[in-house]
Amino acid sequence: MYKYSEKDKQFLVERVDQFEKQLNRYLSGELDEDKFRSLRLRNGLYMELHAHMLRIAIPYGILSSNQLKALADVADKYDRGFGHFTTRQNIQFNWIQLPEIANLLRDLTEAGLHAIQTSGKATRNITADPLSGLTEGEIEDARPYCELIRRWFNLHPEFSWLPGKFKIAINGAKLDETALRIHDLGLRLIKNKKGELGFRVYVGGGLGAAAMVAPETASFVPIEDILSYLESAMRIYNLKGRRDHQKKLRIKFLVRELGAEEFSRLVDEDWQQTKNDPDLKLNLKELESLQEDFALPIEPINLDGFKDKVDFNYSIWKKNNVRNHKTSGFSIVNISLTKLGSAPGDATSEQMRILAKLADQYSSSEIRTTKRQTMVFPFVRKDQVFDLWKALEENDLASPHEGTLAQIVACPGRDYCDLAKAVSIPIATRVQERFNDMNKLLDIGDLKINISGCENSCAHHHIADIGLLGMQKKGEEYYQITLAGETLHETNIGKKLGPSVSSETIVDAVESIVNVFIDQRQKEEKFIDVFKRIGIEPFKEKVYG
Amino acid sequence: MDEIQNLTSLINRDYEQIPLVSFDEWIENPERHSRLGVGIIIEPKDDIYLIKDQLEFIELIALDFNNFDDGRGYTQAYFLSKRWQYGGEIIGINAHLDQLQFMIRSGVTTYQLLDSYQGSNEEDYSKGFSMCYQAAANNHGLNLQY
Ligand code: SF4
Repeated sequence: MYKYSEKDKQFLVERVDQFEKQLNRYLSGELDEDKFRSLRLRNGLYMELHAHMLRIAIPYGILSSNQLKALADVADKYDRGFGHFTTRQNIQFNWIQLPEIANLLRDLTEAGLHAIQTSGKATRNITADPLSGLTEGEIEDARPYCELIRRWFNLHPEFSWLPGKFKIAINGAKLDETALRIHDLGLRLIKNKKGELGFRVYVGGGLGAAAMVAPETASFVPIEDILSYLESAMRIYNLKGRRDHQKKLRIKFLVRELGAEEFSRLVDEDWQQTKNDPDLKLNLKELESLQEDFALPIEPINLDGFKDKVDFNYSIWKKNNVRNHKTSGFSIVNISLTKLGSAPGDATSEQMRILAKLADQYSSSEIRTTKRQTMVFPFVRKDQVFDLWKALEENDLASPHEGTLAQIVACPGRDYCDLAKAVSIPIATRVQERFNDMNKLLDIGDLKINISGCENSCAHHHIADIGLLGMQKKGEEYYQITLAGETLHETNIGKKLGPSVSSETIVDAVESIVNVFIDQRQKEEKFIDVFKRIGIEPFKEKVYG
Repeated sequence: MDEIQNLTSLINRDYEQIPLVSFDEWIENPERHSRLGVGIIIEPKDDIYLIKDQLEFIELIALDFNNFDDGRGYTQAYFLSKRWQYGGEIIGINAHLDQLQFMIRSGVTTYQLLDSYQGSNEEDYSKGFSMCYQAAANNHGLNLQY
C-alpha cells in the first residue's frame, strides 16, 4: 500500500507549523478575519458559531487500518467521538476547538494524513474511483497519476489563489464511478490507436444552481504532457475567471461564457509554449515507483470446490454488499454504516476501531471510502466473507442496505449546516422507514436517492436516480425533485420533475416515483433505462396527478 | 531547470529612484514612456500580454498584490519572469506576509510588504517551506520533490 515518505511527512509538519503561527497571529488579533479565513480554509478549517469543522483528506478514498485508528483517536481526543465521511473522499470533524487544531493536525501527520487544500479557492484533493485496481476492464489504475498530480498542485505558487474552488477527478475504469464530468476538471485515462496512454480532458462541469456537464477540451493528452496541459488550463482560469461576480467564480461560468471551443483554443495556445519544457514532463520514473506502491497486496488463489455457508440473512447481505474482484479467490465487500435516523456517513470512533481491526484480519489492512458514504474492504478472501459478515453482525455493522434504495446519500442539512434551506437526514430516515421491508428493497434493486439541503449540492442530488433538493417556500421546507441523473455510462444531470413538493408529502412523492418504476420496468431494466424509455410524463402524472 | 535565481542577488539597483507610471498610462503612450525610462505598476486586472513586446523598454515592473485573494499577480509574475525572461526587477508591492513564498517562487525578484506587517518575522514566510513539489520560476534553496 502506498505510504507517504519521510520527506512527504516533513512537508506536512512544515505546513502545520506554518498554520499554527497563522492561527496564533489570528488569536492575538495580529491577523484579520478575512485573511485568516482565506488561510484557514486552505487548511480545511470552517468556523461556525459554536464549534469549528475540520475536513481531513482521504486521498482516493484509501485508508490503511492505522490511518483509520488515527482518525478514531482524533474523534475521541478532539471531537465528540465521531466523524463524518463525506461524498468526496474526506472526513469531517464537527466539534473542534481552535487552540487544539495544530495539535490535532500534528497527531495526524505521523499517519500521513492532512487537511491541505481540502477547502478554499485552490485545487482540492483529487478524487479517484474507490475501486481503483480492483475491477475488470480497467484501462489502468488511476491512483499513481492522481498522486503525481496532487503533489504538483500542493502549494503551487501560481495557482494557490484561484477565483474559486477547483475539483479534479481522474478515472481509469470502464464505468465512471468518479462522476468526472461534474468536476471542474475531469481526466479519463484512455489509449489511442497506437496503444499509447493519455488523458481525455473535460473542463467546466459542476453541480449547484447552474449544473453543467463538462465539455471535452482535449481528446488526447499524452500522459507525460498532462502537467503542462493542466497548468495551461489553470492559468487561463486564474487570469480570466469571473472574480468580479461572487456567484460566477467557478470555472464552469468561464467555459460557458467563452464557449468550450474558445476556452480550449486559449488553453491550447498557452500549452504549445510549455509542453516541451522538460521541467513539466511527468516524471515517469516516479510514476513507475508509485505503480509499485499502489500494486495490489494479493495474489490470485484457487478456491475450486469452495462452498459458501447457507444462511438467510447472510445471503441477503451478500447479494447487496459483496462484489466480484478481478483477482480470483477474492471479493470486494461493502460495509454500510447506514442506520435508521443516523446521519449517512457518520461513524463513531468505536466503529472506526472495529473496522480497522477487521481490515487487519480480513482485508490486508486496507479500507476504502466511497461517494455513497460506505466503507469498502477491498481484499477479502472468498472463503472468509462469511466470517467477516459474522464479525460485522456482532458489531452491528452488517446492514444489508448497500446497493438498495435504503443506502441514501444525504448531506448534513439543516440539522448541522448553517447554509441549509431544509433538513436532509430526517427525510432520509422517513424514506428508509417507508421502505423498511427487505423483500421490497430487494425487488426494487439498485436505486439511488440523494438529498441535499441547499443548492450547494453536497449530496450530489443531480446525479442520483431520484434527487431531492431542499428549499424554502414562504418559510416552509420544500423539496425539488430531479430524476434520472447518471454518471456511470454517460453523464446526465437529473431532469426537474415539476413544482417542488412539501416536506409532508415528499415521501409519498418518492414512493409514487418508485412505484411507476416497478410497474413499468421490463426484465432487468434499471431506473435510468425505464426513464429513457417512457419519459418523464408517467412520473409527473403519478406525483402531481 | 532554469538557472536558479537567488532573490537577494537580484536587488542590484536603487529602483526607488525610477519614476513609476500606471499600466494604462504606459499603454497610452509606450514610446514616450520608454524614452523617459520609467517603471510601471501592474494591477491584477491589467492584461499583461499587451506589454509583452515592450519589456526591454520598461525599467522595472511593480505587481500589486494588495488584494489578498486575487491570484492573478502570480501568473503575471510567471509570464514576466519565466516565460518572457524579463530582465528588470519584478517588485511585489503591497505584499502580504503569508504569501511571500508564493510570490518569490512565481518570479517576483523583490518585494515591499504592506506597512501593517512591520516587525513581523519575514523569514518564517519567505522561506516557510524547505521543499516543493513543482517547477516554478524560482525554486532557489528548496529541496525539489518532482
Ligand atoms: S448541500 Fe447545503 S445544506 Fe447540505 S451540507 Fe452542503 S451547504 Fe450544507
